[in-house]
Amino acid sequence: MTAGPGIRSRKTLACTAEATAFQKAFGQELKRKVVEEGEPFVIAQADTPHEIFHAMDIPVIANQWWSAYISAKQLSARYFDAMVEAGYPANSCKYCSLGLACTLANDPATAPWGGLPTPTVLVARLTCDCIQHVFGQWAQAMGTDFFPMEAPAWEHKEVHWYTRSNSEWEEVYEEDRIALMMRETEDLIALLERKTGRTLDLGKLTLLMDRINEQEQYLWEAAQAIGEARPCPVSIAEQMPNTMIPQWHRGSDWAVEHARKFRDEVRERVAHGLGASTNEKLRLMWIGAGVWHDPGFYQALEETKGAVFVWSMYLPFAGPQYIREVKGKPMEALASRICSINEVLHLPPWMNGWMTSEAERCGIDAAVMLLPPDNRLSQSGNKLTALALEEAGVPVLMIDADMVDAKNWDHDAMVALVADFLAGRGLA
Amino acid sequence: MTGTIAHVGPEIPQRLLRATGRHAGAIAFDPDRATSAADRWMESKFAPWAKSILEGWACEEYIAHSHIVFSRADDSAQRLYYYICELQRRGLLSGPEPVILDIAKVPRESSLAHTAQSLKKLADRLGVGVDDLVAAGAPSPHGVTDLERPVCLLAGTPPPDRRLHDAIETAGYGAAGATLVESWGLLDYAIDPALGDPFETLARQVHVSPHGPRAFIDAGANLISQIEVLGAAAAVLWQIEEDEAQAWHLPAQRAALERAGIPSLVLTRRDWLARDGAAEEIVAFLSGVGA
Repeated sequence: MTAGPGIRSRKTLACTAEATAFQKAFGQELKRKVVEEGEPFVIAQADTPHEIFHAMDIPVIANQWWSAYISAKQLSARYFDAMVEAGYPANSCKYCSLGLACTLANDPATAPWGGLPTPTVLVARLTCDCIQHVFGQWAQAMGTDFFPMEAPAWEHKEVHWYTRSNSEWEEVYEEDRIALMMRETEDLIALLERKTGRTLDLGKLTLLMDRINEQEQYLWEAAQAIGEARPCPVSIAEQMPNTMIPQWHRGSDWAVEHARKFRDEVRERVAHGLGASTNEKLRLMWIGAGVWHDPGFYQALEETKGAVFVWSMYLPFAGPQYIREVKGKPMEALASRICSINEVLHLPPWMNGWMTSEAERCGIDAAVMLLPPDNRLSQSGNKLTALALEEAGVPVLMIDADMVDAKNWDHDAMVALVADFLAGRGLA
Repeated sequence: MTGTIAHVGPEIPQRLLRATGRHAGAIAFDPDRATSAADRWMESKFAPWAKSILEGWACEEYIAHSHIVFSRADDSAQRLYYYICELQRRGLLSGPEPVILDIAKVPRESSLAHTAQSLKKLADRLGVGVDDLVAAGAPSPHGVTDLERPVCLLAGTPPPDRRLHDAIETAGYGAAGATLVESWGLLDYAIDPALGDPFETLARQVHVSPHGPRAFIDAGANLISQIEVLGAAAAVLWQIEEDEAQAWHLPAQRAALERAGIPSLVLTRRDWLARDGAAEEIVAFLSGVGA
């Protein structure tokens, strides 16, 4: 049995090593800037307008990246225990609270970077009932501001939203919702300008939006190649870093160039008939956040069963949710990208509509879905999506596990669970 | 328009619903019922009442209503709205039209303006004009706590009914603290038309209301304030397993109770239906306080 830290994933692409090395160097540079030189920086959730921080040259630490960094140092259990000692129930939502836990543990000797210095502001969209409390308390503990952003209701429901979200975003995402996010973004910019002395150059933002479109187009082309190719050229274990690391730096010269290189390497593997597995028989879909503590899980059945995870949300999401026709309205286009970035992944009909379509596009044989027991937002929409996939002929396995908390994860047992499911549904 | 209107979730202004002349109160549900249909569609971390309502919807118990108004100020309520819309789209549910009141709570002008806009939109949809809003009847009186006895405040997750209140009363205390349905009706204040646009007034009431999980308040100070208003002699802080908001207030509330010297019992991750001995623990706690 292999419990706890999990198994490392196997890497075959040159791009993957480059992305990982870039991020490692970036982390060291970021630490130098914010810890050693005291440069202003922001802590923000992934679903906030990072484009504004990039355009204002304000370093941003994505909460999800910082959580993954803490997890990778095997500190998550220690910090979650510290939360319980501080009086929080043990079942409090873990996905977004690891950074707060690290701050509350107040242990510079073991904390990554000795702990984070005080940021200019913390920013989060209020997509659930806990995030405002997590970020509010984190800001209070760090002695700084919290800038919450609304996640307004969405009454215009389009099952096939992904077919016109790039160009007709005003209708798809509702003009009132876009307008609210615009006003909030303007308030955020005013706060940043006041606290850092830096200003937003709208021309720079427009250029950044164009560069992001170029980057996301490369990623979408890679996703299309992967969906069409037999065998699948790149497992999701390598799709994830080659998507998410450029996504943290979206629009930068490195990120655009890396996305292009990744697409080219994918196409090259397709041209040479190279597969993630030498034995591809089944194409699997992974629904949910990545299991960051056991990336090797995704490749465990490739050779023995020929079961290859060919799809996770991160790469194909670049197409419908990031690419935007700017139309001379960069702030509005940006607002339309951000104002539903979480909702389309966790609410019906957007979630089930897109994922069912993606399963068809990628020739999926079965899906495995993550149901984190203590996280309503991450669970949300899963059963209705499973129902839709089953109706479309795609068997679904739901597993109760958490993406950052390894306590209840057993690599061998989880791999066996998937193998048994595939056998039970007559697929392997 | 025909058919009655019911509501789901906190911070929906009762005055606006009453102004329709068709308000039937909070949606009725049976917390103890089995939820076999809802379990097929809804995940484990939803508030249990959301499953009960979904089950009732599947059993066509709400067909007398024309509209059900859901609150954006509670995560389970807003997600239930999307689930029902989707199940209706797919022909798996029928029944009344789900409507959402998009309440924005961030303490900034943009959120206040958005809430005012949402209230006007809901009023238009339900056929309520400014005059209707102003003329809507007076708020219904809230439950009166028995002040002849020492009072114990039941705080935390609003319970499904009065089974925990009964335990408090068994121990010789007057029980204060809203049940779930009562908590959904707390936003019910008068409007003075002389103060300007009634919808703007209503929006300000909603925006600063402390009654929902998304309120921007000091939870410790708010708890102590409730205790002081009631003159409560003890407090029970009860939170259920599925709760996602109250859990984050726990350290601040514990510290506030300790500072104020209020005898308290903290019960976290508890069973919604109190099948875990919560009532007995409350009786034992209060017996000790009184001793």
